Amino acid sequence: MMNVLYYLFRVLIYPGFLFISALAFVFEWIDRKAHAHFQNRIGPLYAGPHGFLQPLADFIKLMAKEDFTPTWANPVFFNITPVLAATLPVFASFYIPFTGMPVLPPFEGDLVLVLTLTTFFTITAFLAGWFSSNRFSSVGAIRVVLQFLGYEIPMFISLGSAAIAAGSLSITKIANSQVIPFAILQPLGFAIYIIALQAELEKIPFDIPEAESEIVAGWLTEFAGRKLAFFRLSEDLRLVLGAGLATAVFLGGGSGAIFPPIVWFLIKMVIVVLIATSLRTVFARLKIDQVVRGAWKYLLPLALLQLLITKILLVVM
Amino acid sequence: MMSIYRIPVGPQHPAIKEGFQWNFKLDGEVIVDVTPRLGFVHRGIEKGMELRSWVQGIYLAERICGICNTPHTTCYCLAVEQLYDVEVPKRAQYLRIIINELNRIHSHLLWIGVLGMEIGFMTYFMYVWRDRERVMDIVELITGNRVTMSMNMIGGVVYDITPPMEGIIRRGLDYLEERTKYYKEVLLNEPTIRARTENVGVLSKSDAIDLCAVGPTLRGSDVKSDARFDEPYSSYDEISFNLVTYPYCDVYARALVRADETLESIQIIRECLDKMPSGPIKVRLKRTPPPGEAVARVEAPRGELLHYVKSDGKEKPYRVKMRTPTLANIPATCEMLKGYYIADIPAIIASIDPCYCCTERMLFIDINSGKSWVWTDSELRRYSLKYYRERRK
Repeated sequence: MMNVLYYLFRVLIYPGFLFISALAFVFEWIDRKAHAHFQNRIGPLYAGPHGFLQPLADFIKLMAKEDFTPTWANPVFFNITPVLAATLPVFASFYIPFTGMPVLPPFEGDLVLVLTLTTFFTITAFLAGWFSSNRFSSVGAIRVVLQFLGYEIPMFISLGSAAIAAGSLSITKIANSQVIPFAILQPLGFAIYIIALQAELEKIPFDIPEAESEIVAGWLTEFAGRKLAFFRLSEDLRLVLGAGLATAVFLGGGSGAIFPPIVWFLIKMVIVVLIATSLRTVFARLKIDQVVRGAWKYLLPLALLQLLITKILLVVM
Repeated sequence: MMSIYRIPVGPQHPAIKEGFQWNFKLDGEVIVDVTPRLGFVHRGIEKGMELRSWVQGIYLAERICGICNTPHTTCYCLAVEQLYDVEVPKRAQYLRIIINELNRIHSHLLWIGVLGMEIGFMTYFMYVWRDRERVMDIVELITGNRVTMSMNMIGGVVYDITPPMEGIIRRGLDYLEERTKYYKEVLLNEPTIRARTENVGVLSKSDAIDLCAVGPTLRGSDVKSDARFDEPYSSYDEISFNLVTYPYCDVYARALVRADETLESIQIIRECLDKMPSGPIKVRLKRTPPPGEAVARVEAPRGELLHYVKSDGKEKPYRVKMRTPTLANIPATCEMLKGYYIADIPAIIASIDPCYCCTERMLFIDINSGKSWVWTDSELRRYSLKYYRERRK
């Protein structure tokens, strides 16, 4: 009985669902506040100290709004995709070792599972846009998939070279195997992962699928109220997942002196979030053809180069 | 696979801040054809001018466009002064140059920020608009208003620049010059901006001339045309400044033209402050101008602006007609858009610095034959009488 309660606590509260959701809101606040300060603005200010509760307030406000399904949208996909979008990153986050141990027991190959779930998210976004039956949504949905064709393979290869260096496909084992973080040993792989993460999170310069001045809100155009709230939460959850994966695979997870692993893990995650924020501050949005071309022309060869270097070093040493 | 489909951009779309519609015919992400649709924000200003007195006309002209309000009043006042056949005092002419150039700086900086926003570079937008506040402060110092300046009157200007103001203006200009140089540097060196604007929306030199483009759009296509040069008004011939042109013909060239013009404007204002003679700033005129007609041309930030006024000696204008730069640039924009991607739409449309509310116009188009024409005043009058006579039956 105690065992069941313990697992329920881990899954639902800490470091499970509630913890990850809270982290999502905090990271959104950090992202928005830092972005605002980089741009010489103030950012969220009123809800809570320094606007700390603003993301939560936004979420609650959206949840309270009218739930609406357009006449021509496919009701099944239109209603199921927001839920999928929010749950997939949470499920994937259960394999990230926030406290040194992930929520669900790690196994050899959970890295592959997590990457599969992120791929599912892309398909969810595509379906959401496509079945909205809106011209802007359709264009956005196509862009989601096109962009995915560009960034996915370099991202997988960069994570793969870290896995090869650690000799394991389990995120927890990769995190624990690092004496020197892989971000230092494999800087190229880390950089590629950060760029691909930016593309996966649809942030500038890769916010092409929801490019506001071009296609209104892209694949999100038709969503409002509760569904939009879930999609926005999903964006934050993916930020947690992406930053968590970067921390575990490239920054040595929760290892560090004095503080418990969770503190180190959070510090490293915030660093990743701030890198993502500053990247979205200093660039203009690229075009979809430029992104796909750039990904295949530069990111993929560089990712392969990183893989080659890692393999050669492993053989030599 | 996807065939050719249509996307309406506007009247409600994030890339278009006013009521205007561009109907795009697309093949995948490539633009095949585009049809502009006007008429969402027609306010009947030309008719409104006929219902108001000559002086009230200034205030209405000022409200044609919020951003280039001073060129509109300058143009209207220049035209009406031609009817009176008076020249405004020299000091007033210089003050008019100063306020027009301040307006150009404010408009161009605004546009440079908007370009950043349209291509998703929000940081650039935020910084440029923060520094644009400085020029608004200068305008507020001189006229008491931040945007709608109410500077011009028939026969001169309303407000004078006093010596203490001059120092503040000069300091503001130094700051603006430094910042504008920095923003031009960013334009020149930031790879993502260049990737989004270079070779986008190309308008060849011959097309630009054939389609009657005006202003920075025309000068970005390497055509030397500027009303301040071609037909100097208001003592512009006494000021030395460069006519900025760039030969690249794309959005990037238009951005550089505007950045350089901002720097030129700062120089012009400095020179005006140096050369400004003392003396009166206005002349008193009779309430109504003598009968006659007049045309005035002014180089607004967006391009050449034209006002035509006709007086029949009464208290109100008989006819006032404007041709605004955006209207002149729309055919060229349609040409620029063809063959580019959806992603280029906001940048290309923004590159003419559109102001749709001054563009609303009436044009006669026979839908069956596709023929379009423009009527003269008397022809229109004859048609309207005939139309209502037929309706009454």
